[in-house]
Amino acid sequence: MKNFPITRIVVVGGGSAGWLTAGRIAAEHQCASSERIQVTLVESPNVPIIGVGEGTWPTMRSTLIKLGISETTFIKECNATFKQGAKFAQWRTGKKDDFYYHPLMLPQGFSKGNLGPYWQTTQDDLGESFSHAVCFQEAICEAGLAPKSIRHAEFAGTANYAYHLDAGKFTQFLTKHCQEKLGVKHILADVSDIVSHENGDIKSLLTQQAITIEGDLFVDCTGFKSKLLGEHFQVPFIPCDDVLFIDRAIAVHVPYEQESSPIASHTISTAQDAGWVWDIGLQSRRGVGYVYSSKHQSQDDAYERLESYVNLDNKGLFNQLKPKEITIKSGHRKCFWQNNCVAVGLSAGFLEPLEASALVLVELSATMIAEQLPANRQVMDLIAKRFNDTFSYRWQRIIDFLKLHYCLSQRDDSEFWRDNRESTSIPESLHELLDLWQYHPPSDLDFTSNNEVFPAASYQYVLYGMGFKTQLQPHQQWVDIHFAKQQLAQNQKVRSMLVEKLPAHRELINKINQFGLQAV
Amino acid sequence: MTNMVAINNQHHANLRITEHAHTQGANQHLVPIVTSEINKLIVHYPVVLTKFDDTGKFGLSALLGFEEGENLFWQQGRWEAVYVPAQIDRLPFFIGSEQQSDTVNHVLCVDMDNAAVNESEGSALFDNTGEPTAFLAEKQQILAQLLDGESQNQMFIETLQSLNLITPITLDITFENGANTSITGLYTVDEEKLGALSANAITRLHTEGWLQTIYTLAASNAQIYALIDKKNKAIKQGDAWFEN
Repeated sequence: MKNFPITRIVVVGGGSAGWLTAGRIAAEHQCASSERIQVTLVESPNVPIIGVGEGTWPTMRSTLIKLGISETTFIKECNATFKQGAKFAQWRTGKKDDFYYHPLMLPQGFSKGNLGPYWQTTQDDLGESFSHAVCFQEAICEAGLAPKSIRHAEFAGTANYAYHLDAGKFTQFLTKHCQEKLGVKHILADVSDIVSHENGDIKSLLTQQAITIEGDLFVDCTGFKSKLLGEHFQVPFIPCDDVLFIDRAIAVHVPYEQESSPIASHTISTAQDAGWVWDIGLQSRRGVGYVYSSKHQSQDDAYERLESYVNLDNKGLFNQLKPKEITIKSGHRKCFWQNNCVAVGLSAGFLEPLEASALVLVELSATMIAEQLPANRQVMDLIAKRFNDTFSYRWQRIIDFLKLHYCLSQRDDSEFWRDNRESTSIPESLHELLDLWQYHPPSDLDFTSNNEVFPAASYQYVLYGMGFKTQLQPHQQWVDIHFAKQQLAQNQKVRSMLVEKLPAHRELINKINQFGLQAV
Repeated sequence: MTNMVAINNQHHANLRITEHAHTQGANQHLVPIVTSEINKLIVHYPVVLTKFDDTGKFGLSALLGFEEGENLFWQQGRWEAVYVPAQIDRLPFFIGSEQQSDTVNHVLCVDMDNAAVNESEGSALFDNTGEPTAFLAEKQQILAQLLDGESQNQMFIETLQSLNLITPITLDITFENGANTSITGLYTVDEEKLGALSANAITRLHTEGWLQTIYTLAASNAQIYALIDKKNKAIKQGDAWFEN
């Protein structure tokens, strides 16, 4: 096999994964103005797009900036709203008033000291949950406020934020933007056959429309089918349904009662007896869905749970919402980059949307491919190995973190929750962390890889939110009490100021639609 | 409070305006301006861009002080400057709009609640024959300038935006008494980007008549130092007051 430069990138599949990856590579390598690298996206004119998750991470802001997309345009075109984290309701005890937040901001003073142990020992006197005591974002979310004002520049804000978006509209928007602004070539055709080189690399794709597409690197964004990596290269799928039991979803679009109804600026995740309901507020509707374990609940009961959550006045109305059923296979491919083919999106794997990990994994993959695009075929194998190591680690971390939400629950109202606490269902790596935290408060030092997906703060929010207690020893040096008090007081001060100052989420969205945000 | 009334030479034949009309601006730290007065403004004032609270859109202002309510040009009950911004100088007059079928008519109004409005002292609005006085004519001219300035301002700002020439300025100032202040929310012209504009863009700005305005606005930044100096003097005066 000759060593040749990698210049022709072929992305197969036109969902959000395909367009984000194509756009990210094209932007990085200036395909609009230079011929050096060519990015072609081929998609079937006939395959419907599965809109994965409507929740994003704050990384989406830098992704949009890298793609040269204006925040105002994005918000207008994609029915988008602001997301400031997630509210987990009824996960710990299942009672009506049981909730905690996983906000998108670090605890106050996080870089200077760990407030966790101080909070744990004084929580009864403080009378405030961890997420509320150390971060002002929960209060903003509870008050239905936006993370910024109309005077903030695009992508700037008072509080850190991500977005909720309409995945279908986002894909349409990217389709146009990537072609018009970033120089991605678009081919509508159905891939029918794959022609290989002697070493097994993909040489070209044959299509039903009789177009042959040659390439040096192929990105598999074909969704659950995993046409290239799974079907062609036969890379096995590693299920994790022994850890995460969710295998079904029922999704509906729920209209707002009124055009002026408030929009939640966080994802609401409400635990049920065999899974949980997501509730995401877009501009014109809410996206609501129930993900559950079919081993623990019948389909009829699941429908009933969702219907009762949506709580419409009239029974017939629920069926008019045309609930959509989706079968979920939790897990990921054994590796993600094989020969000259790398999978991004559902073709690489899927996990329940509890922490909105789908789009962020696409962004992380697209970033690594774009920024470390192999210079030539020889070095590609090295990059592939590094990519596989990085993403195997990341998938495992996400699986651990999702499981953490379940395995600490005190709910005892169903087999689903009891099974989730079974020691054998908890991965070894998570066991290890939980054992460590038995005696050491969770801290930044527990996570030292460059490839962490969730910072230590995220673990703290979930652990303390779920009522986890470290057996703290008096001799352990925690944090200076003065410092801790000062930080909590500072958070309190900023919290009350911002609750007065920030506009309602709906109000800001209306203003952005009317006046737009300024670039600076 | 304002109480706007349309002016006519019968009802308001005896109306007079004292020199206290500018008092309304005594506590403003920013005053909106129009591009046509920038050449005069730079004699004293830093001209900046700021965002409107309710829309986030850019507007042009003269900077008068470093905190809410501080007008360093307001001294001993009067506006201490050779040139007073048009938006202040027109007081207590306003332009009202009257919708008539599909056209909008502009009418000259006066704020009857402004303490400067009376019937015994100050400049008269009309002469004995009911003709506007030179005083009123001058105010009318200022109001016309302001009205005209609205669309001019918008065109100017859109031009700056189209060339990405707006940049935030953050002022970290330590006054002579050691007090620190950090001021955000002010914007100006990005001189680096201005210097890097293509010949085509410069020609366009020149043809549209904005080139000089842009450079004048950028140059007005130097007046920030004069304003700091004013503040320091005000602090000293305050100290002197307590020492005596």
